[in-house]
Amino acid sequence: MSLLKPFSKTPEINGANILLVENEEQFQQCLAETIVLQNMNVNVNVRLARSLPLPMENEKSRPRIDLVVFIINLTSEASFKSAETSLKYLDPGYFLGKVCFVVTKARSAVPPERLIAVRKLAASLHCPLLYAEDQTTEGVTTTAHRLLAILRVTAGLIPMATSLYLSTLTCYTLPSDTDQLNFD
Amino acid sequence: MLSMDDSTKFILKRLIRRIPLQMLQKTLSKWTYLREDLDSLDFKQSKYIFTECLLSLFEEKGTTVKRITELEMIYVIENPNQGMWHGFQLSDAEEDAPTVDLIQFKEQFKAHLIELNSHVSIKIKKHTDEAIWIRIAWGSNFTNPNHLKPTYAVHHLQTPYVFVNGLSLKHKPLLFQALVLATRYGSMKDAHLSGRKLTAIRDLLMRQYQQMFPTKHPRPLQEKNPVPTNPKIEKEQAVNTENRMQVACEAFGDGKLPELQKAVYQLETKFRDDSNKTLKSREEPFRGVVEFSSTNLLESLRHAVSSGIAATPVSALLPAITQKRRNRFIITDK
Repeated sequence: MSLLKPFSKTPEINGANILLVENEEQFQQCLAETIVLQNMNVNVNVRLARSLPLPMENEKSRPRIDLVVFIINLTSEASFKSAETSLKYLDPGYFLGKVCFVVTKARSAVPPERLIAVRKLAASLHCPLLYAEDQTTEGVTTTAHRLLAILRVTAGLIPMATSLYLSTLTCYTLPSDTDQLNFD
Repeated sequence: MLSMDDSTKFILKRLIRRIPLQMLQKTLSKWTYLREDLDSLDFKQSKYIFTECLLSLFEEKGTTVKRITELEMIYVIENPNQGMWHGFQLSDAEEDAPTVDLIQFKEQFKAHLIELNSHVSIKIKKHTDEAIWIRIAWGSNFTNPNHLKPTYAVHHLQTPYVFVNGLSLKHKPLLFQALVLATRYGSMKDAHLSGRKLTAIRDLLMRQYQQMFPTKHPRPLQEKNPVPTNPKIEKEQAVNTENRMQVACEAFGDGKLPELQKAVYQLETKFRDDSNKTLKSREEPFRGVVEFSSTNLLESLRHAVSSGIAATPVSALLPAITQKRRNRFIITDK
């Protein structure tokens, strides 16, 4: 079992690396293309994976991963399960602000239990949870911008801000049952 | 002046209602019976008025039901993707089966079917693509042939396949017997293949689509369709993706696939769970049905495999649709 570690490699100058993990490889691909197209002063590289652990043979060529994004398609149980198992192959250091969850297709009729399960998962790991619209280009661009904003902090490109500092502000907290009632 | 009876009028009205307005002109112009009168018809009118005009014209001409069935056949042959088509396979060919020609088939089929049930109205037409179209309206001793619910059968001469639409259980043995005798085969059985698109069923059953055969040496897929990738995007599990594409293509074929709507797997097995004694000790097999449906099932399955939604390796039951050319399976214990 090879754990993915956040600090095992030296960072690149003015560079940031993001790892998108999605079981279905659909939203992942178009999100990656959008991220790369965004005009940034930073050199952003995207790595795509279906699940963790990542293959050993890429170990050498793989740069330091600054942000791991789990994309969960709410309409598929397999998507959630895959993300859940993949989490075990991440070094605990990543959970100090370098992991993020993105939920897609939350709009279509999905069992509410699954959404609650994802929310619980994000809250228990102190990670931010984003909802993404994958059908429109605007939705994908927005998601790309939000991820890049987090990535810039986690890659250490923003002075005075660290991923741990950010995570305390952006991490998802599960609303209590009373809030939940009002919310519905 | 001849006049049409009410049932003929009703049949005509029903038929005109079935044909969309934009296709009416094309369909009617193919009908030799109406060739001279075509100019007098105004296709820009609303469909209701147009139908009334057509009715009065036919009344003048004294059109019979037989003529109207001609029009129906023209329309159905042009638009075969309606209703449910079932594939059937003829087997045990006799020695002279390959020599059956259209005229012989026509005579034989009509003679045999009328012998079995004299109250039928049969129409046979040869289409340009070598297919013989048979339209049968069934009647009984007490009723006239019902032209509102005809059975269509399509047979390609010199092939052992027949495609049937709108056949009731009651008339099945009659049609089978007449077809078997007319085509000089020994028997006919269900091919367990059905779908809404006749062309798809035909292509699949007669293997007229682009197929791919499993090979031991995988072809490099990149050469076939080079996908321009951004150097900044890197796939960690690229090898897996390629493998999956390869598996999907081998399992379901390459390129365009015939459009099937359904695949049904019927399981008949012994119940295997020691905790439930009642079910386990039952004599009768335990039955379960799994049905896959989609507007284009084979395409969906291939996509599910190539995108990784379905686990690989693919269960042998799914590629069996194209390999065994059927979409209804009964799985039993060995």
